[in-house]
Amino acid sequence: MSLPWTEKYRPRRVSEVIGNEEAKKQFEEWMRSWEKGHPSSKAALLAGPPGTGKTSLVLAYAAEHGYDVVEVNASDERSSEKLKAIVGESARQTTLAGTRKRIILLDEVDGIAGKEAAGGIATLTSIIKSSRTPIVMVANDPWSPRLAPLRENALMIKFNKLRQREIVAHLKKILTAEKIELDEELIDEIAKRSEGDMRSAINDTQIIVSTQDRSLSLLNTRDRQKTSFEILAEIFGSTSAASGRASVQGADMDVRDIMTWVCDNILNQLRSPQAIADAFKLLADADLHYARVERLQRWELLRYVAPLLGAGPGVVKHMYGEKGMRFEFPSTIRFMMQTRGQRTLIHSALAKVAAKSKMSRVKAASEMTPFLAEMLRRGEGWVAAYYGLTDEEVAAIKELGGRVPSVAAPAAKAVRPGRRATRPRPTRGVRRPP
Amino acid sequence: MALQETIPWIEKYRPRSLSQIINQEAIINSLKTILSTHAVPHMLFTGPPGVGKTATAHAFACDLYGERYLEDGHFLEINASDERGIDVIREKVKGFARTIPIGGIGFKILLLDEADQLTSDAQHAFRRVMEQFSTTCRFILAANYANRIIEPIQSRCAVFRFKPIELEQMKKAVARIASNEDLEVTARAIEALYEVTEGDLRRCINLLQTASTYSKRIDENLVYQVAGLAWGGEVRRLLELAAAGKIEDVRKHLRTILYVNGASERDLITQIYRDLFYLSLPEKKKLELISLLGEVDFRVSQGANPELQLMMFLTNLYSASQVGK
Repeated sequence: MSLPWTEKYRPRRVSEVIGNEEAKKQFEEWMRSWEKGHPSSKAALLAGPPGTGKTSLVLAYAAEHGYDVVEVNASDERSSEKLKAIVGESARQTTLAGTRKRIILLDEVDGIAGKEAAGGIATLTSIIKSSRTPIVMVANDPWSPRLAPLRENALMIKFNKLRQREIVAHLKKILTAEKIELDEELIDEIAKRSEGDMRSAINDTQIIVSTQDRSLSLLNTRDRQKTSFEILAEIFGSTSAASGRASVQGADMDVRDIMTWVCDNILNQLRSPQAIADAFKLLADADLHYARVERLQRWELLRYVAPLLGAGPGVVKHMYGEKGMRFEFPSTIRFMMQTRGQRTLIHSALAKVAAKSKMSRVKAASEMTPFLAEMLRRGEGWVAAYYGLTDEEVAAIKELGGRVPSVAAPAAKAVRPGRRATRPRPTRGVRRPP
Repeated sequence: MALQETIPWIEKYRPRSLSQIINQEAIINSLKTILSTHAVPHMLFTGPPGVGKTATAHAFACDLYGERYLEDGHFLEINASDERGIDVIREKVKGFARTIPIGGIGFKILLLDEADQLTSDAQHAFRRVMEQFSTTCRFILAANYANRIIEPIQSRCAVFRFKPIELEQMKKAVARIASNEDLEVTARAIEALYEVTEGDLRRCINLLQTASTYSKRIDENLVYQVAGLAWGGEVRRLLELAAAGKIEDVRKHLRTILYVNGASERDLITQIYRDLFYLSLPEKKKLELISLLGEVDFRVSQGANPELQLMMFLTNLYSASQVGK
């Protein structure tokens, strides 16, 4: 095997780094603040699962903007002395060719925690404060409590797992460059197995094309951390705040994803109305705290998320003696996939209606389309002509409200007082004019 | 049958002049005074939906500049909730207010509709835009709630509070359309229209046109039936499903409203707030749910996840409606 593809095809420019657009933007802004001489923060902490482009982004930026990258392995024992020596120097290094700017890259900072414990982090923190060179730290687990002091002194930039289609597209690019043809389905399967890890996907592809039969049989699934289902089982099985917190902190999964999985499984884990309501309350609190972390960058509030999210559902389940059924894949993901086509069409239709009726799209959604949908269902052809709607858009609008399930009459409570006797339950399509 | 092009009645019966605006006599009188002097201030129109704020702004411009007020570039409408960010708005205003059209009266008018959709930061930025261009441009801001407009903007504007449409006024408006469109609308139907639209004339006219596709004779049953299809009806059904404990259906319906229909979570929360009062629940529970909805409203504005927060609210509504069963 020649050069590993992961090296051969490492991005040379920031624009070639796949996915994580927000993180890329944050990183570039931060580096720009250094270039202007007023760094917004001395260090940046790039956090996210393996193979999502953290190191590649730093290397690509350096290559593009003429930096030398000084890599220091943070878990190395002598690293702190080495670090002190480097950051103490000028940010520019004089070489025969002239001066070169530098970036210090600290890999595996979550590794320090284990080996040198608090001391290592403390040293690192003080080093950061006095640094005249941008320090980039890379970690897999942003939630590690030991990293808390670092988070305070560094700009946290979060990386998410790459999307399957991003990985597929990149693999295809590489295969084209290598002039190798590979079965479309096989590429999909590789991307799926990688679980958002580009590095492992590229490695797997390279191994597979080097074999005779080009099948997946050669590959074992990598030794991953817990699956989403295992994490769910832990969360719904947790009976204390402490154990719930540990489940979330130990999970190799985005907090937002955990929330989606938990949210979409409450209804198959809990039966009693009070239990469901209580579980949603705690989960909604976790969501609120996390929103403050994300929106207001209040990282110190992060610690409230894990116990609420990790222990809330389980503690409630235990309290009400609920049995629970099988865990399911989040229904929201399926819902969004199933409705993608309709959503796109509704969006474009709303833009047309909004422009014509002089209102915002969201207002058109609540004020116009429900009526237009019904008139279209009633065969009023002028609606399409007036608003310039395509046949597809018309079909999508007609479906609006059509998905709404009806309520069995006796259970329904939301009837206005005094109207109960006279007001018929609105039912679509029952009444037809003679 | 004569070939006549149908258009939405809300366009067909849109007032073309101030004298055609109903229900807002005091406001129309002062606007007419302003018209006669050409001393046009910045203005803030507030009031519930469908009472004629946007229509009045257009009618005012039409009376001031003539029929071709739009085509000749005297008037521009910007919708605050669709335009992404204040920079986009500033660019649009700049482009519009840079020139004064020949034959004009020295300034243009810019309508910023749904102005309360702007964040307070964006409103402060917009205030500066107002000052920057005030020599060549007058601003009309339309908003549902005056208290969502920052003080400095309010103090720079003449504030006009639009009243909710009165029943008698809605009767007249409906009668006019009915005679024009050859409809028979029963007295009970008009009362039903008033009840379900809460005095929102746009919704009333949309409802009437939709109902007319069923029958030329419109009675209150038909009104309720069509109202059930409308936005308010959809939201009410969400609450009914929750009260009935059909939580799986609640979730599906909620997702449809949030992600497919394209409505804003703010509008959804507002509509839930309105309907909460009519739920058959112990009043104490109702008050607790109102407070909980306030919390959801605030959280969503803080960036919390609307689906999750609303599921929390709706499952608590379910739980509350179980009491005493």
